[in-house]
Amino acid sequence: MLLKVENLSIELGEFKLEDSSFGVEKGNYLMIIGPTGSGKTIILETIAGFYQPKQGKIYMNGEDITTLPPEKRGISMIYQDYMLFPHMSVYDNIAFGVRKKRNNEKEIKNEINHIAKVLEIQHLLSRSPTTLSGGEQQRVAIARALVVKPEILLMDEPFSSLDVKTRERMRKLVKNAMEEYNTTVIQVTHDFEDVFTLANKIIIMKEGKILQMGTPEEIFSRPANEFIANFVSTNLLRCKAIKNENNLSALNCNGVILYSAEEANIKAEVTVSIRPEEIIISDNMIKSSAKNVLRAEVIKMEKRGNLVWVTIDAGIKLKVIITPNSAEALGIKESKDIYAIFKATSVKVIE
Amino acid sequence: MPGKLSFRAFCIILAILFTVVLFVAISFLFFVPSPREIWESMTSPEMIFSLELSVITATISTIIVMLVGIPIGYSLSRFSFFGESIVKSIIDLPMAFPELVLGLALLLFFGNTYISKPFEILGLPIVFTKLGVVVAQIFTALPYAIRIIYSAFEGVNRRYELVSRSLGYGEFETFTKVTLPIAKKGLFASTIITFARCMGAFGAVLILAGGAYMNTETLPITLYLNMSYGNLGMAITSGIVLIIVSFVAIIVFEKLEGLNAAKS
Repeated sequence: MLLKVENLSIELGEFKLEDSSFGVEKGNYLMIIGPTGSGKTIILETIAGFYQPKQGKIYMNGEDITTLPPEKRGISMIYQDYMLFPHMSVYDNIAFGVRKKRNNEKEIKNEINHIAKVLEIQHLLSRSPTTLSGGEQQRVAIARALVVKPEILLMDEPFSSLDVKTRERMRKLVKNAMEEYNTTVIQVTHDFEDVFTLANKIIIMKEGKILQMGTPEEIFSRPANEFIANFVSTNLLRCKAIKNENNLSALNCNGVILYSAEEANIKAEVTVSIRPEEIIISDNMIKSSAKNVLRAEVIKMEKRGNLVWVTIDAGIKLKVIITPNSAEALGIKESKDIYAIFKATSVKVIE
Repeated sequence: MPGKLSFRAFCIILAILFTVVLFVAISFLFFVPSPREIWESMTSPEMIFSLELSVITATISTIIVMLVGIPIGYSLSRFSFFGESIVKSIIDLPMAFPELVLGLALLLFFGNTYISKPFEILGLPIVFTKLGVVVAQIFTALPYAIRIIYSAFEGVNRRYELVSRSLGYGEFETFTKVTLPIAKKGLFASTIITFARCMGAFGAVLILAGGAYMNTETLPITLYLNMSYGNLGMAITSGIVLIIVSFVAIIVFEKLEGLNAAKS
């Protein structure tokens, strides 16, 4: 095991992590998922050595590194807001870590050119980081962290401040870069799209506790409790892309045509995710800006917590979350006919 | 609504009125004496001595204040340690603590035989000497400096430092390669303010260094001594020099602060 965290407890202001243990194998892409504000950043900062845990041990390659200073750990960190040094050029930012280890400026230059190519930032090297867009800054931050070939790369919600289109592209780039550099990654996120594309191991956290660990398949097919079920529950559909036009793609999902704002390869089989809270139920056909309107029948209603989960059949089965108030106002009951409405941007193409 | 409006008008008028009175009062400094009088005072041996002593002592004091203030400001901004909150209260000291009392305290401290002895043996007596001027300036300016340095470091996101550490740099290297350059503007502003404070330090300098004619006489002391002799021209001229120094300092400071604010 490359990194092992044993009975880790952290207390820092509002945040608490209790007695958590987990590990990462070399080449893993571990995703820690939890609601925003559940202190995921602190876990990464503790692994990196910026905070001393109250209790517990951290091992790397079997060696206890709990009290080792951060500069001796070989763990790189990428923050949500990138933290590029504003007083250095992009080139110097990327070179910063390598220069500590080597002083052959020519070798350094080769390395930087190589990683710049992988992350498509060759044209930015002489710029100042303050003039870059979010996606560009992020690629520079990744380059700076990767070029030192860290044992482990930590990423703190790296995609959350990017727009949807850039995010898509970044995930692909990151995936390629991680494979190219054979890097072990621990990433924290609250975004499911990250999980589908990147992770091969997942930890679900809530209020400083690990609720469940496993592969994405394990967690999505057998969520350990109600909270996880609610949290990970999304409508997953297998569809076939039929055409792309006007920035929309049409997808055939079991005979039902859905429109997505994301491009898909024509004729490819894709998996599509639609969050249940993004589907609107209506009594009759209404005119709206939403691209997808389906006629459906309610087949099941279930009250969970203070929300109602409605399963509908529109040729495809979809789960929808509504409030008890709306359920009552619309008179929703089993076998009632309704319309399900959702935007093209709610239809996410996963792979 | 009219009630609200007139209250707003009242506040604004008061603000403008006060500023106008202040500026008129300051401009009186420049217009009361004749230019000839100012020129004569400027070139008098006493004024030249006083200006020289002020610039030299203030420069030395500023260097020492910055060398001491940067580590103190940094430690207050970054580390938690035993007694931190007590140390932090020095930042608020200059707002309430009278300079004259500070001078008196320093005089009693450095006048104490056990404490003054080692300095005298080294040939560096402090009480009623030019070295005393420097010491008094340092103690007057240091809390101000620490306050500005502290907020300059607070303005540097500590995640920059964490990133640098994770890329292999130790604490000190991170400080010199990342923190200092990013805090540069704030530190420069602090240097300017410190220099102006040192030039204008009066109460503590008067009591610890004695305010002796052509010996421990800095610009504020020149103003004070000549006022008491009734030599108005000299007093006003030293006042003008001090005002110019502080205006330049304020303008530079505002400019740097503005740049900082625009950046973040």
